[in-house]
Amino acid sequence: MKVPVTLDVNGVAYPLELEPATTLLYAVREGVGLTGAKEGCDDSECGACMMLLDGQPVNSCSYLAVQADGREVTTVEGLADGDELSPLQRAFLEHGGVQCGFCTPGMLVSATALLAAEPRPTEDEVRIALSGNLCRCTGYDGIVNAVLEVSGTS
Amino acid sequence: MSVAESEPPTFLRPDGKEKVTGAGRYTADLNLTGQLHAKLRYADHTHARIISIDAGRARAMPGVLAVVTHEDVPDVLYGDLAQDRRLFAKDRVRFEGDVIAAVAALTREIATEAAAAIEVEYEPLPAVSDIEAALADDAPLIHEDWESYEADEALGRDGNVLGYSTIVKGDADTAVDTADVVVKGRYVTEASQGAPIEPRALLAQWEGDRVTVWSSTQVPYAARAGVAHVLQIPQSHVRIVVPLLGGGFGSKCDFHYEGHVAALARAAGRPVKLVFSREEEFIAPDHRREGMVIELETGARKDGTLVARRGRLVLDGGAYCGEGGFFAQMAAMHACGPYVIENVNVGSTLVYTNNQPSGSIRAPTAPQVCWAVEQHMDELAEALELDPVELRRRTLIAEGDEGPTRQVFGPIAVRETLERAVEMIAPDGDLPEDEAIGVASGWWPSFGNQSGAYVKLNADGSGTIVTGAQENGSGAVMALPVLVADVLGMKPSDFSILYQDTDAAPFDAGSSGSQTTMNNGRAVVAAAGEVRDRLLDLAAEKLEVAREDLELADGQVRVVGSPSKAVDIAELAGSGEQLLGKGSGPVPESPPCDAEGCLGRLGMESFLEPQVFTHAARVKVDRETGVVRVLQVAAAHDSGVIVNRLGATGQVYGGVVMGIGQALLEVSQLDAEGRQRNPHLLDYKLVTASDAPRIDVAWIETPAQNGGPKGTKGVGEPPTVPTPGAIANAIARAIGERIRELPMTPERVWAAGQRG
Amino acid sequence: MTSSFVSATGVDEALSALAGGARPVAGGTDLVVGARQGKTPLPESLVAIHGLDELRGASASDRSLRLGALVTHAEIAAHPVVCERLTALADASSIVGSHATRAQGTLGGNLMNASPAMEVGGPLIVFGADVTLRSGAGERQVAVADLATGPGTTVAEPAELLTEVEIPLPPEGTGSAYVRLEYRRQMEIAVVGATAAVTIAGGRVAWAGVAITALAPTIKLVPDAEEALIGSDGGAAAVGEAARATAAAAEPISDVRASADYRRAMAEVVARRVVSAAVARARGETVAVPASSTLFAGGAS
Repeated sequence: MKVPVTLDVNGVAYPLELEPATTLLYAVREGVGLTGAKEGCDDSECGACMMLLDGQPVNSCSYLAVQADGREVTTVEGLADGDELSPLQRAFLEHGGVQCGFCTPGMLVSATALLAAEPRPTEDEVRIALSGNLCRCTGYDGIVNAVLEVSGTS
Repeated sequence: MSVAESEPPTFLRPDGKEKVTGAGRYTADLNLTGQLHAKLRYADHTHARIISIDAGRARAMPGVLAVVTHEDVPDVLYGDLAQDRRLFAKDRVRFEGDVIAAVAALTREIATEAAAAIEVEYEPLPAVSDIEAALADDAPLIHEDWESYEADEALGRDGNVLGYSTIVKGDADTAVDTADVVVKGRYVTEASQGAPIEPRALLAQWEGDRVTVWSSTQVPYAARAGVAHVLQIPQSHVRIVVPLLGGGFGSKCDFHYEGHVAALARAAGRPVKLVFSREEEFIAPDHRREGMVIELETGARKDGTLVARRGRLVLDGGAYCGEGGFFAQMAAMHACGPYVIENVNVGSTLVYTNNQPSGSIRAPTAPQVCWAVEQHMDELAEALELDPVELRRRTLIAEGDEGPTRQVFGPIAVRETLERAVEMIAPDGDLPEDEAIGVASGWWPSFGNQSGAYVKLNADGSGTIVTGAQENGSGAVMALPVLVADVLGMKPSDFSILYQDTDAAPFDAGSSGSQTTMNNGRAVVAAAGEVRDRLLDLAAEKLEVAREDLELADGQVRVVGSPSKAVDIAELAGSGEQLLGKGSGPVPESPPCDAEGCLGRLGMESFLEPQVFTHAARVKVDRETGVVRVLQVAAAHDSGVIVNRLGATGQVYGGVVMGIGQALLEVSQLDAEGRQRNPHLLDYKLVTASDAPRIDVAWIETPAQNGGPKGTKGVGEPPTVPTPGAIANAIARAIGERIRELPMTPERVWAAGQRG
Repeated sequence: MTSSFVSATGVDEALSALAGGARPVAGGTDLVVGARQGKTPLPESLVAIHGLDELRGASASDRSLRLGALVTHAEIAAHPVVCERLTALADASSIVGSHATRAQGTLGGNLMNASPAMEVGGPLIVFGADVTLRSGAGERQVAVADLATGPGTTVAEPAELLTEVEIPLPPEGTGSAYVRLEYRRQMEIAVVGATAAVTIAGGRVAWAGVAITALAPTIKLVPDAEEALIGSDGGAAAVGEAARATAAAAEPISDVRASADYRRAMAEVVARRVVSAAVARARGETVAVPASSTLFAGGAS
């Protein structure tokens, strides 16, 4: 049985027909064709698949796409303003917050959610808010510094 | 916030924008028209004889287009120093990740169902998971046919012994009796994982008799050779392309699953894609950081002089050799460490078991052995009633000293790293009672390898670097434009990079052994040199001056001393002349040594341009629970000259945090038969952002005499090496008891505290 | 494989779907993970309840706090009544999973998943909270303490939907805390957890509640620990006795996270710390939320 679903991803409506068991991650990657969000595990442990759902972070690998019908989905592809990188995207690069880049989309999404909710977080608040996103390359240092710089608290 | 002694970032990595916007493509992001989905069928036992494999039911399932087993590929063995493995298991399975068959189907779901429907009949055999048990006289043989395998004679194979190496200097057995103080210690480590965040992915497509495999490999040329070997086709018929690579840490070194997908795609007549689940990424690859038993005995004189070191190491090689055959000798060198020791006798045995095969993970063998040796050094300091830092100050190597195989060291700054690390971590006052500081020093060799590159200038004045080097995320390839621009008087941002395609570029050993800057750096500098020569010729002609009077700077070729007399490089590039360069450069050779008395010589007996380092860690121990928090790590490294400060420092941050995980949390727990009990990220715990500490980094830049361009050495692997040892020494100081098992889990720290 | 799906627009619609054999899905954090790991396939028929706004509210009276089944962990942790009067619940909600788990995971889903390691179970049981289970045939109240029957199983009938949790507010002078032994500060699952609440009146413990988490097939109260505290001054001797009683009540298992011996030893340590924290809060002293971070060696500085 397929269910008609309209996914609103980064402000564009995508009409899809999905099996109910389809995850939001699979629907966005294979149905919508936006592959920025990654699959790093299957149990919400790595955060590489992080998206925003009505502004709130969600592990899209563990969320049913049919439940996102008609709601606002934001992925890493929705963070830049056209060709202009967002301040977080630029700061990640300048602070060495990007190495292999596989965790980067999810990390940026989580950081974006944090700054929307708490524009001037402490370092510990940044670290707590990014703990659902595992990074094996950077030791988190460049990432945390980038978020603090953008928030103006560094 | 962490502090690095850092210059401001000079340039942004060329692959950065695609990575932060999500536009960059990793292997799993690629799809081809007509593509099928693959699923591997793994062994149902960790040790068993295969009686029969019946894929009839799987083949008959609607949507299944191919099932491949050992019957469908040439009957050849592969492996690096010992060729002991088949692409598909034929008559035996030896660990839980052994591949019985591969299925290609229309969907992942059908492929999964079909793989499960393959019927395999086994005769289970006794499984050996424990390394000491595998060495017993009556232990079941993991490889009954070991004598028939092709292998490097120097390995010293014998039954379950895959390799045996010794490092011998002088007469340690006699000398130890002359020591004022002798300490002994036994240390045991368990296996851990590279755990890149990207699970591996592959996509294969045949065009005629040539196959292209897109693969998340760190070593495309090794992957190409592997496919050619297992399918018995020419290497020139195999093209490996690596899209963006989502981390590797060694676990994506060597040839892995490229052969399986190529065989499947050929059988199905369609492109085939294979993407690993996280569980597969844990259990299947022949790469993990191996468990070890490390027994050390050191005799010293009252002043700290190290008279003798004896050691016995047993390493868990797992079921197959893979590329880990050199581990016994590498571990033996680390059991000596960067210390002046008058007499040495270390024996190191690499053992087959029914566990996951061991293979390179970021500085293979070094973190575990360093963890043991550096605890041992602290114990020796205690017995000598010396401060641990003072003992190291007196015994670490310096220029002109002799190593364990009488290699004589050139300029080397390990003592300076000790002083710097201690200085950076010095507390403002007394530490609270539950906190303590520990230090650990260590070393890691640089590796000289063949490598090649092309450099060309384009008509618009930009440049292109065509390189065989592989970018694993560290930024080593991304920094190559810095070296080329320096030769040509241009800006790094003037250059684009064409990389990770075996058909496009010359051979490179890949992203392994921290060797990219050192070896491919040399190649691109040589290639740029050819372009520079041509530019000088053209400019000399155009400006009507002697070549010798010209320099390249600021995008121009100009006359030294009268910079107004100049021609733009872009103008020369647009003049219709070909500006092409190729390069490889001479491979640095390991320094001479005296290893006559050593067995199992595999090339690690002398260390080319060792990278040396000291980490100091401040920890807080909750004695009642055994929970340890690392509050600060100070990391001082001599990795030669640093060309990209932001990138190099990033390697230290990442390596330290990986080292903390391997010190305290990360372990692949095994059942009695060698199956992993926690192959998922909930119970295989990586360090999160909220557990990562403040990290201070210092570079002591001693130019390498025989290294890469500008006096560089490797950078990426060392930061994992001394971190567990520094943490161990800090814990021991905090609780007055030593943790002799790695990882030092809360339960183990608690249990040690109970003894105290 | 799921062959039927409906997104409910009202509770009655959800209930009739349940009566027809559907299973509810809210935040999906446990259900979808379980299915993807191959532990339990997704149900044949699903009814999504995330859009039911009537299950989303939180309302406080002077007697109790009512939380709709769809209230998220993040919302609970930020609720002023929870922070002031039900601090143990704030401790628990603020350390569930990661920021994303807390943003999406719902109270109702968490309770019906019935994990013996769930963070919020202990505080709800200690505070004597009830859940409302509603079906087409009517509704009933069940104590949270009686809801789970074992790991992953509850007393709820398939046609019943957990719609609301009502938590009685403890009297003035009550302090409470939840702590877990955690190897990491975030992304953690309780290896051992404990909840304590004490009411101090006239310098004496007038009432106490103690529960253990991840130490038995279900989260459970420890009456012996409560008795050790009631009537005492809440000092070290009484706290120690309560902690020992807690360890004695534990039925720990050995698994990849810890051995039974370690768990039992930690039961006493965790209980001592959590009771001490509850007593301190009852006396008006500050123990920062979440208590786990405060009491277990702190975090990175």
